[in-house]
Amino acid sequence: MLPEYFDFYCRTRIVAGPGLAAGFGNELGRLGGSRAFIVTDRVVRDLGLLDPVVRSLAVGGLDVVGTFDDIPPNSGFGVVMQGVEACRTAGGDILIAIGGGSVLDTAKGMNIVLCLGGDIADYQGFGLINEPLRPLVAVPTTAGTGSEVTAYAVIRDDATRSKQSLVSPYLAADLAVLDPELTLGLPPALTASTGMDALTHAVEAYLSTNSKPISDGLALHACRIIARWLPAAVSSGDDLEARYQMLTASCVAGMAFSAAMVGCVHALAHALGGLFHVPHGLANALLLAGGMEYNLPAVEERLADLAAAFGVGPTGERSRDAAAAIRFVRELVARVGLPSCLREAGVPEDGLEEAAETACIDAAIYTNPREATPEELLEVLRKAF
Amino acid sequence: MAFFKDAAELYECIGGFFKEAAKDPDMGPKIRESKLIITFEYSAPDSRITVDAKNPAAPGDFFTIITGPTDLTPDVRMSMSADIAHRFWFGKVNLVQALAKGEMKAQGPIPSILKLLPAIKPAYELYPEYLKKIGKADKLI
Repeated sequence: MLPEYFDFYCRTRIVAGPGLAAGFGNELGRLGGSRAFIVTDRVVRDLGLLDPVVRSLAVGGLDVVGTFDDIPPNSGFGVVMQGVEACRTAGGDILIAIGGGSVLDTAKGMNIVLCLGGDIADYQGFGLINEPLRPLVAVPTTAGTGSEVTAYAVIRDDATRSKQSLVSPYLAADLAVLDPELTLGLPPALTASTGMDALTHAVEAYLSTNSKPISDGLALHACRIIARWLPAAVSSGDDLEARYQMLTASCVAGMAFSAAMVGCVHALAHALGGLFHVPHGLANALLLAGGMEYNLPAVEERLADLAAAFGVGPTGERSRDAAAAIRFVRELVARVGLPSCLREAGVPEDGLEEAAETACIDAAIYTNPREATPEELLEVLRKAF
Repeated sequence: MAFFKDAAELYECIGGFFKEAAKDPDMGPKIRESKLIITFEYSAPDSRITVDAKNPAAPGDFFTIITGPTDLTPDVRMSMSADIAHRFWFGKVNLVQALAKGEMKAQGPIPSILKLLPAIKPAYELYPEYLKKIGKADKLI
């Protein structure tokens, strides 16, 4: 079928390599800014992961004028505004975000308000941020969100207990530094859940109604890498090659879903994160196979393609390949040692209905290959419970 | 050539259709339930229609339609050209693409906007019928 239109955009310069966190100083000159403000969390700080980055900043001629590290998982609008205040007080003019998705998305939210003023809640919507923001360097310490290259910041609205998406191509970092050494200390459970997050980005981007040729290629490649390397990254946390591959895959999947968007698995994961603080990657992991199964009637051929990317196809029979892809994901979740159901993740059974209702009005649901009703999503949740 | 020659014609077509929708027993209650004030800002011709589902409506209406300027502060603001708006109500605009292309902008809580999409689906059939009814069949696409 000849598409009427597609677009693809990625504004981020990506540099990758072991030890690069201490060696990207020469990349900073072209970005502008001289007063670096670090956005991170306490775990990253306590692990000493800031140290190599600070060395790079010094080489690049930047002064570190302040650090904001009070960022919880599933960060909220209130946290963003606290970070804005801290950065304004310190006089930072370039943001350096070091951490997982919550940190990176908080930095993106801060960047909006620092440049455009007002309150972060004012920027919910589409097409509202149409100019470059101040320079942002993203140094991911988990291999999952791909936030360093995406046009989204997903941040919790504390008032409505829901995840809100802020969208603009200008949200993606100017520079992403992928250093697998920063992820060596990630415990197996976090490696597994963040890796499954990356896989969910890739799978949902490929199944999305907004998929396009470029995102398709990226998504399938990310699936190939993750299928091959996630088990090794989980079981042998010091396997630098596995860490490198997963960090790369997360970034590639980020580019894919930034262009193609996602679907019902993310909509449900956002709902469970907003309502019950279920970690995003874990929620995605527990729902991905069920979401694929739910979408099977609409995207059997695409699911069959995934079987080939996962290395469990093709058999020559489309329905068998599609089933194999779903089975592969289910087995992968078990293989990397994650909980097997939402109940084990702390989701209350009497909260499933509210989660399904909330997911039905999440932005992610709009590009799901099937038009989902609350009843259908409730069924997906019940099966995963 | 633009679909509408001036704001008055847009208000007659889209504004008039919204006023019919305000009485519609299918769409009306669902939009009322949103308790939102939504402003549609159009260009070419410059014009503005506000749907007020928050404040009390006139008897027989589920919500109020205001054409032109108003002091109400919207919860959701949608901006687009009048031509895109016209095509939208025929169900001929891919929302994701329109947003990606910058043909539409949306300000406000995205879930609130998405929640309304199923509610307004009947409009895609009713809008052409309405145009025929008011003698504007030349606007059909």
